[in-house]
Amino acid sequence: MSLAKSKTPTRRALAERMLEAGSERDDFVVFESDIGYSTYSYLFGDAYPERYFNLGIAELGTMATAAGMAAEGRPAIVCGYGVFLSMRALEAVRSFICYPRMNVKIFSSHGGVTAAVDGVTHQATEDIAFMATLPGMTVLAPCDSASARASFDLALGIHGPVFVRLMRDPLSELYPEGTEFSIGGCHTPRKGDDITIVSYGDLVFQALEAAELLATEGINAEVIDMYSIKPWDRQALRLSLERTKALLVVENHQRKNGLGYELAAWCMREGVSVPFAQLGLDDTFAESGSYPLTIQKFGMDAASIAAAARKLAAAKY
Amino acid sequence: MTASTHVSSDERIRSLEGHARDIRRAIVSMVHTAQSGHCGGSLSAADVVSALYFDLMNIDPSKPRMPGRDRFVLSKGHACPVLYAALALRGYFPVEELSTLRKNSSRLQGHPVSTYLPGVDATAGSLGLGFAQAVGMALEGRMLKADYHVYALLGDGELNEGVVWEAASTAAKFGLEKLVAIVDRNNLQNDGKADDIMPMEPIDKKFEAFNWRVLTMDGHDMAEVLATLEASNEPTGRPTCIIARTVKGKGVSFMENKREWHGKAPSDDEYSMACKDLEGGCT
Repeated sequence: MSLAKSKTPTRRALAERMLEAGSERDDFVVFESDIGYSTYSYLFGDAYPERYFNLGIAELGTMATAAGMAAEGRPAIVCGYGVFLSMRALEAVRSFICYPRMNVKIFSSHGGVTAAVDGVTHQATEDIAFMATLPGMTVLAPCDSASARASFDLALGIHGPVFVRLMRDPLSELYPEGTEFSIGGCHTPRKGDDITIVSYGDLVFQALEAAELLATEGINAEVIDMYSIKPWDRQALRLSLERTKALLVVENHQRKNGLGYELAAWCMREGVSVPFAQLGLDDTFAESGSYPLTIQKFGMDAASIAAAARKLAAAKY
Repeated sequence: MTASTHVSSDERIRSLEGHARDIRRAIVSMVHTAQSGHCGGSLSAADVVSALYFDLMNIDPSKPRMPGRDRFVLSKGHACPVLYAALALRGYFPVEELSTLRKNSSRLQGHPVSTYLPGVDATAGSLGLGFAQAVGMALEGRMLKADYHVYALLGDGELNEGVVWEAASTAAKFGLEKLVAIVDRNNLQNDGKADDIMPMEPIDKKFEAFNWRVLTMDGHDMAEVLATLEASNEPTGRPTCIIARTVKGKGVSFMENKREWHGKAPSDDEYSMACKDLEGGCT
């Protein structure tokens, strides 16, 4: 399976959908903290200046101001970099958005080490842990244009806080436009019986590439794109593990408190006993560099995934 | 509510002073019952809150979410006894419920929560972030071209928080002239004198430099409180900051200007003494 190269990063695909939606509904507003040309929120701002508020380099104040507007019943979108939205603004997200269940959508770019060249200060590698921990927060992580566009509609389609993790660089296109996505759903872009590889966002493509490698060795990996991280699709994982009996979770995030921890804890609770491994940052920070070399160095690329899968598949017997 | 135009200004002032005394009694009583809570900063704000809830604000306790109502955000959320007292006395919920402050299953949480209690316009308590929400509420009013005012009550120690100045910049950028920030300038915060812990003076010049209009008043002189709050509603194209010079613990002699009474509950004996100070007892 060879995928089309993407020209559009997910941050842009979602922002383009946001621009279209601006004419379809007149209720939502967009907040920005001076990186509108990077989140592409400027597309909306140029078209709807009266519904676009750039509050400068002040993520905490921006988040709390959006919460205040949402308190008046106005759906409010906040765009920015994940590292700032999930940490500097975290308290406003927790206490004044999640606690009172405000209708605020956080569109968070530069997830994981996809902002590799910018270095650790700009890499959101703990964002899923912070956001998924918050009661009432929905967390989505699309991997391509179709899923990023769908994420906008899923986020605006429910009342309450939603965090959408987006990426800096264009990677590949996986889903045809019009593919159905749902909150709490997942997709299985590759079927297999020997091992289940769960990922989300950019590393779905590495997982698919790893599955190609493994297939040449006679190992048929199933790849699940868990684009809805919270809530996530328990039934799909259960059915997959019943067949494959091995689980590898791959995420562009700290291993600690990411999706891997969540799935492992669920397996323990449910008595699903399968060989398990995780790839992701292993209690360490990444570094500046190119995206491909960085994910290679930190063990998240296709070769690393294939190696971990081989070990797990062997452990079954 | 401006029915007060029909009564003489002396009567109006006396009536609001009476409400302020009732609010103070309720504050001391509920914190004594809870054996936990913040008396000092609640008492210092009682006169301002009385003027807002019993006179100036356009509100209807039977319609707490009425779209055109004036909003009040208690950004210094730890002073929620003053807000709870005013809301109960104004008829938003039964006065008896004040005795549930800080107890399990109570709507009167340790810091105010908008989704629990009718009349609470914003969840607040983390200092600085109530103010930023108030800016968002005023921004919505500007977008709707609505007439409502948003009043945010801040502590002077709260001005230490950097996000206050982010929010102040935003309010000025968008010319939120219906936003009124009232700084309860009692010059005490948890650890000591506000001027010592982190000097913020000149507060007036700081807000002016952020392109706000600044008014000052004696926060315990009801005539001045009324006149200043009324003046704050004159449209100027800029948000207004009122610096209210107040006394922490005002009205209870042994609590006045005492750091210890920032977050302490009175014992039974202290409660009796406080009730004597607040003419008429606390019941």
